[in-house]
Amino acid sequence: MKNFKHKDALTVNEAAEAKAQGAKVIAGGSDLLGELKDKILPEYPEKIVNIKTIPGMDAIEKIEGGVRIGANVKLSELAGCELVKDKAPAVAEAAYSVASPLIRNQATVGGNICQDVRCWYYRYPNQIGGKILCNRKCDGMQCYAFTGENKYHSIMGGMRVHRSGCSESCPAHIDIPQYLEKIRANDLDGAARILMKKNPIPAMTGRVCPHTCMTDCKRDRYDESVNINQIERFMGDYILAHADRFMTAPEHETGKSIAIAGSGPAALSAAFYLRQAGHTVTVYERMEEPGGALMYAIPEYRLPKDLVRKQIKAIADMGVKFVCNTKIGEDVTVDQLKAENDKVFLDTGAWEPSVLGIEGEELTRFGLEFLVEVKKWMADKPGSDVIVVGGGSVAVDVAVTANRLGAKSVKMITLEPADKLPASKKDLDWALEEGITMENSWGPKRILRDGSKITGLELKKCVSLFDESGRFSPKYDENDTMIVEGDAIFLSIGHRIDLSFLGEDPFLATERGRITVDDKTQATSKEGIYAGGDVTTGTKTVVLAIAAGKKAADAMIAELGGEPEASLKEGFLKAGAHCLDHTPQLETPHVPAAERTIDKEDELTCSFEEILTEANRCFNCSCYAVTPSDIATALMAVHAKVVTNKAVYDSDEFFTTKVKIQDFLAEDEIVTAIEVPFADGVCSYDKFRERESIDFAVVGLATNYKVKDGVIKNADIVLGAVAPVPYRAGDAETYLTGKAVSEEVAEKAAEIALAGADPLEQTEYKVDIAKTLIKRSIMKLL
Amino acid sequence: MRTEQKEYIILNVNGIDRKFTVGEDRTDVQPSETLAETLRNRLDLTAAKVSCDKGACGCCTVIVDGEATLSCSTLTVECDGKHVLTLEGLEDPVTGELDPIQQAFIDHTAFQCGYCTPGVIMTVKALLMKNPHPTENELKEALAGNYCRCGSHHQVIETVMDMTREEA
Repeated sequence: MKNFKHKDALTVNEAAEAKAQGAKVIAGGSDLLGELKDKILPEYPEKIVNIKTIPGMDAIEKIEGGVRIGANVKLSELAGCELVKDKAPAVAEAAYSVASPLIRNQATVGGNICQDVRCWYYRYPNQIGGKILCNRKCDGMQCYAFTGENKYHSIMGGMRVHRSGCSESCPAHIDIPQYLEKIRANDLDGAARILMKKNPIPAMTGRVCPHTCMTDCKRDRYDESVNINQIERFMGDYILAHADRFMTAPEHETGKSIAIAGSGPAALSAAFYLRQAGHTVTVYERMEEPGGALMYAIPEYRLPKDLVRKQIKAIADMGVKFVCNTKIGEDVTVDQLKAENDKVFLDTGAWEPSVLGIEGEELTRFGLEFLVEVKKWMADKPGSDVIVVGGGSVAVDVAVTANRLGAKSVKMITLEPADKLPASKKDLDWALEEGITMENSWGPKRILRDGSKITGLELKKCVSLFDESGRFSPKYDENDTMIVEGDAIFLSIGHRIDLSFLGEDPFLATERGRITVDDKTQATSKEGIYAGGDVTTGTKTVVLAIAAGKKAADAMIAELGGEPEASLKEGFLKAGAHCLDHTPQLETPHVPAAERTIDKEDELTCSFEEILTEANRCFNCSCYAVTPSDIATALMAVHAKVVTNKAVYDSDEFFTTKVKIQDFLAEDEIVTAIEVPFADGVCSYDKFRERESIDFAVVGLATNYKVKDGVIKNADIVLGAVAPVPYRAGDAETYLTGKAVSEEVAEKAAEIALAGADPLEQTEYKVDIAKTLIKRSIMKLL
Repeated sequence: MRTEQKEYIILNVNGIDRKFTVGEDRTDVQPSETLAETLRNRLDLTAAKVSCDKGACGCCTVIVDGEATLSCSTLTVECDGKHVLTLEGLEDPVTGELDPIQQAFIDHTAFQCGYCTPGVIMTVKALLMKNPHPTENELKEALAGNYCRCGSHHQVIETVMDMTREEA
């Protein structure tokens, strides 16, 4: 084992403190030492804190109506405890079933119920060709248990152990697999609500987002990624078409008010969530129409302006007030807004064109409404030879716009080499397809002119883009030059932030020309003022701005006394039907190159049938490993409590909320005891496994039946090893209540208990085993 | 404030106190060192074998404070002040006479390759220390964590049952 520091804790607090600082807790050690030897923890701990040395945690004592078992009680003691054997036999039987007597001599109750989930592949990394990367370890390929040997894996679906690749790489962390699952269930409204928890304007992002989610889609390594873009676009259109259902005015007004400066995506996102929470929201916009970059910086053929207007109208219909033609810093100051409102959110964007500082620059055209200006200029001078400097998506937009407006030729000049361009590959391909040419790795040196008329551009070779520290700092070979001819030059080399609207405010911190904000809350250094979007990041994506708007809204809502969003309890996750078949990605329907225009959308929205098929390609990446604790299963059947240094939990909550108990526990939380009530019923634990010693359960079953005169009064049925967490067969419990025991009833109960099973390719037999165990447990009541 | 980590530990191994400093030097017992490693590598007591190194096979079994213990799954630093008994400590140090269990195993040839035998004998020893006349089921139960690839289980059960009956 790689070394670590070791500490014997003398008090729970001491151990909890060490745990909070990253130490791993060791009790019996049979689980932890195996993990350390195999190096399968995401991070090898620097320190181990031993809790066996804490006095008083190894006692079994009688309490009112039950028994309290210290976390450090050895499994052998629990298995042999006469009181537990008599009053809660399932718990003693479960303890007795664990591994072997040698392990039971060392392993503790606390350690057993806190042990990590076990995946065959994950636990035996060396046997199958070195390091296994699984979804659970934050990187990696497809889950091996999905297709391979999987007798110790779930037959009920998976559970999320961390964000899926797609959600993780989405700046807004949209729960993509979750809304795709709703689409598969034909529940578009449910899907819309999940999507809108993180992104209120998917009709916009469905058209303009770079969709990094698709790059990190695990399916990309299987065949082709899921076309999340098209699904989002469909959902965005669906939401807008039914805005009266999804974007409604709040039921209660809080009476608090928030002013938002700017109306770009961050502002719209913040406005939506703040208004949803019942706050009064006023959005100030300096232009004629709200929308910011959505309205003024993204061309019509990509994002129709009528759609932007429709989106803004939907937000306005919720009761958000838009005040246009109002410039912050001139018509109204930030201080004024702050004085008149409870909170202020700044989303003023980055609209100042960058300056090159070369000769003749004043002749290149570019302004706030550059696309409008490009249009105007082209209308005056069709048939021009246009040069566009820049390799980003805006540069492509400018080039394509000029080209479609009838330029004789359009040439893009980029600093970056062809394979390192910031614009998306699809956009570049389309531009080339439409006849735009490109010169890569060149920077502008001098503007060539004949009086006030541009005749061309002299270029110098760009030899490197970044300095040693990785900062953008292009280097040129001044002797390697080239001349391109043209009569119009559009510079599209990025935008700067204009912070002059802030005036001289020493209390609002800025850094490198951006407003400094807190990562988690988007709060500026000034009380009550938040900021998001390009003004805090420089020119970035729409989705990043949406995420910032949501973060800021959440922080403001919390500050104003709002309730945090309740987390949705999701069932076990099921992959799309036939998702293992190799299938191509849904093709995005689009207009052929020759027919593309300036004012009609290039791409189209797919049909529901198409996106349903695509949603079925989703693996719904989640973990199929199961909690191996026999005792956890038994504790749920007797409704035991788990006691920590911070709280007392019902065993159902403790064991089923998260796959990994360590994710459920707070950083400084340690299990100190369990409290087992006396079960006044027929209570037992059954375990199906290959060898009677050592092996984990293939299926475990803990039951507690209260029977009177041959009729079941109450049933507790909990299955182990069939789902990521112990599985309470609630429907079967309900069915059995009030039924006279018979073979027929037992069979029916078993069928009901396993009705939700969705076994992996090779584990159908586990369904039969589980049914048999349940049937037997009921038949014993006869 | 209490020192974070022990500076030294004392282990009584087969009746002799052994003091080890704890740390990262080569001569120190490292906090991550297992009891099996300490016994085998530092004290040359190689009867306990590290086979599966996961506590599943029982080959590393020794007796710690009277309990059969998996030495591969026990940290040495957590054995401070404890009494460790290994197979080497079973014979009489003065006369060289074997423990009755060892002798019975030889007399009945209750092993084949012998690799798992030290673990099996220590498990049996721990059982007999508490329960000198186990039933066959009690014996089988106690040995449920000691795996033998050669299949010597039957001879082991026969031997121990014979031996404990003779004693009775």
